[in-house]
Amino acid sequence: MTTEAAYPGDDPHRLLSDTRELAQRVRKAQRATWFPLLVFAAVTFASIPVYRYGGIYHFGTCVVTGPGLRACTIYPSGAFVYWPVALVLAYAVIAAFYIRRSRARGIETRVRPYAIAGIVIAVALTGAALWELYNSSPSGPVGLHGLGWRLATPTCAIGLALLVLARAERNRALLLLTIAYLAAVLVPVNFGWVMDPLSRWYVVPRLVIDGSVLLLGGIGFALAQRPLRSPAP
Amino acid sequence: MTGPAAPDSTGHPANGLDDIVHQRVRLGILTIAREARRVEFSYLRTNLELSPGNLSQHLGVLETAGLISIEKGYAGKRARTWITLTDAGSAALAEEITQLKLLISRIDRADTPPD
Repeated sequence: MTTEAAYPGDDPHRLLSDTRELAQRVRKAQRATWFPLLVFAAVTFASIPVYRYGGIYHFGTCVVTGPGLRACTIYPSGAFVYWPVALVLAYAVIAAFYIRRSRARGIETRVRPYAIAGIVIAVALTGAALWELYNSSPSGPVGLHGLGWRLATPTCAIGLALLVLARAERNRALLLLTIAYLAAVLVPVNFGWVMDPLSRWYVVPRLVIDGSVLLLGGIGFALAQRPLRSPAP
Repeated sequence: MTGPAAPDSTGHPANGLDDIVHQRVRLGILTIAREARRVEFSYLRTNLELSPGNLSQHLGVLETAGLISIEKGYAGKRARTWITLTDAGSAALAEEITQLKLLISRIDRADTPPD
């Protein structure tokens, strides 16, 4: 082989287009978008038993709304432990996977900014959720209906970190999926069901929707990136 | 290290091209290295379709110019050579791309027939 095989021609158009093509090829080889999506789908689905069975509901701010009646902001205490731990572990697993995979391929990925951003966002939004719990008005929208609450949810933290990954991977398809996911997280989707906010099943439909978007996205990316994941012998 | 020819706002963009970077293979090495934290010798060899000797020669030129750093180590029992783009390499690559774009726009303007 000679050097001519890589870049035939000295034409500046050709040099520039070959450079772009080479950069795109490297980016595609580095992508493993399916993995974080499947990990976060698993983390989301695994949180359902935590909400259903994990710990008592935590009461934040309460106000008296009538004779013998009071309204309180609530949050299941198990979730406050589950999410920060699960998200930090998820980012550690994702970072380890990316590093191992990229080393095996001979091209190391810059995964650290994504993992660090994910952990920072998760911790910050957990803090924001705690702040909301003790500072938002209980006479306003109850539970997770308010936008403030939805912004401070762990599922939103996953979405914001996915934006960082889309930027790091320069992955337009992931950006579109993340926008759709954040829309599902932030817009109160309701298929007509009515649930008691005090029910332990209250957040389950939302988690199923959010987890399903991640799962389907992960499967889609796994199928799309399959040829790249299995290099020819 | 050699840099690009002194940029001259009134001169031809070709004068701004760095002879070290403005070479097909070396441009390819810098482009791949920019996309990754580190890139292994074998990855470059496969993707640029070069012989080991040829690739080593180009890497030597880039290392001498301070545009890349080369790190040798082991992964298990296997010897590995990792290449990392330096800040100077990143700047030189960005400059090369800018000059290529300028050159292309100049060629395109020259090719456009007058009204």
